[in-house]
Amino acid sequence: MTENLSNSLGNNTYQNKIAEQLMLKQALALVLEKIINKALSLNINDNTDLNALHNKCFTIVLAELNFPLCFSVYQQQILVNSVADNSDCTIVTSLKTLKDFQKNQQLTELIKQDKLDINGDLKLAQQFANIAQNLTIDWQSELAKHIGDIATYKFSRVAKVLTDKLTFFKNQVQADSSEYIVHEQKLVVTKNQLDNFYQQVKQVSVQTNTLMQRLDALAKK
Amino acid sequence: MSTQEHSNQAQQPNNDHASTKNNADNSTHFGFKTVDKSEKASMVAGVFHSVAKQYDIMNDLMSFGVHRLWKRFTIDASGVRPGNKVLDLAGGTGDLTAKFSKLVGKEGKVILADINSSMLNVGRDKLRDKGLVQNIEYVQANAEYLPFEDNTFDIITIAFGLRNVTDKDKALASMYRVLKPGGRLLVLEFSKPEHELLNKAYDFYSFNILPKMGELVAKDGDSYQYLAESIRMHPDQETLKAMMDNVGFEQTSYHNLTGGVVALHKGYKF
Repeated sequence: MTENLSNSLGNNTYQNKIAEQLMLKQALALVLEKIINKALSLNINDNTDLNALHNKCFTIVLAELNFPLCFSVYQQQILVNSVADNSDCTIVTSLKTLKDFQKNQQLTELIKQDKLDINGDLKLAQQFANIAQNLTIDWQSELAKHIGDIATYKFSRVAKVLTDKLTFFKNQVQADSSEYIVHEQKLVVTKNQLDNFYQQVKQVSVQTNTLMQRLDALAKK
Repeated sequence: MSTQEHSNQAQQPNNDHASTKNNADNSTHFGFKTVDKSEKASMVAGVFHSVAKQYDIMNDLMSFGVHRLWKRFTIDASGVRPGNKVLDLAGGTGDLTAKFSKLVGKEGKVILADINSSMLNVGRDKLRDKGLVQNIEYVQANAEYLPFEDNTFDIITIAFGLRNVTDKDKALASMYRVLKPGGRLLVLEFSKPEHELLNKAYDFYSFNILPKMGELVAKDGDSYQYLAESIRMHPDQETLKAMMDNVGFEQTSYHNLTGGVVALHKGYKF
């Protein structure tokens, strides 16, 4: 996994040069920092967990990116940058694996499968994950501040109906798929069966032709 | 467009020639004008007193917000650590100071220095409004005569300020003096675009659109005309690197950003 880290940071020099010119690292860090701090400011639960992480730095190196993302805490804010000089905990993983990271019991399994590498204080990574889990935003209240209570109520109802329909549609598709796999698929003729059938028809056709020839010969006598 | 570009280029004095001449007869340039060295500081001060209140909004408008990325790049390249002592020279409205203040923590210190009191006041108000008070000090200072003891700072940054300094060599030497051994200087400044096509587009934008934008938003087209002219008169990447070498900086290097529209120069004192 350490090799993955050096590969992911060292490969594609030309791409790195373009990324550096366009300052993609800085742009991503800037956007992430804005989103995270906005989300923290809207969190209806308190952010006291952040106090324990003051001046701590947690770094993620994603296989999809060729640079690290370092998250450090200053008072009640999270700073994001793309330099991992003073990291207290570094995890090397991929975006797909990151989704499973919150489930404690899977961590050992992910490390065994070489999908995750952790250097430093694992507890710190868990504390950062807990902050993400602890985020609850009252979207309706926030929206009402901008568009008013009535519009928010109507918007929420429409959104709920749409969500319900989409959920129903998704469940229906899943149920139909399961039914097809469990029952229908067994009844579908396979290619081998079809080939076998064609072969048998061909044999019957040959035998019929032979019989016709014999009948013609008998009739001429 | 073509006629305008030619006329603009025709107005531009030869940079190298101007520098040599300036050194000889105690004159310097204020944009494309040649002025006495003793006058430049007050003329630059006039520009910044005039634009201070609209400085941030104009920065966002003129650079389409990209100045934030240039400054982030500078911070990433600074290698700042908790406990460091940082001098943000010509720090203006304190964008770099705000970020450094968080990164150096309680044990560190950031000095926001600017020659212009209006810019310093705007910066101080902005940072205080953000709740950044505990590790920031404000100093009105001329970059050529920095009022600090030798070997004081771990990092010195000067972002979009060096081109306004009357005697750049003297300012660089002054920065070298106050840096600690092992410390580094980062100069973020407009520079020369790498590609001719970009250079022409940039010229057109700087001399035709930028002053109009300044007139419209900051009600001060002249200051933004000066901005465009001062950018053209600023030394290019290699010249500035050589100037840093000359005053004693080591391992000097530069990174072109946005095709060379801006360059970040870095040098160490050992």
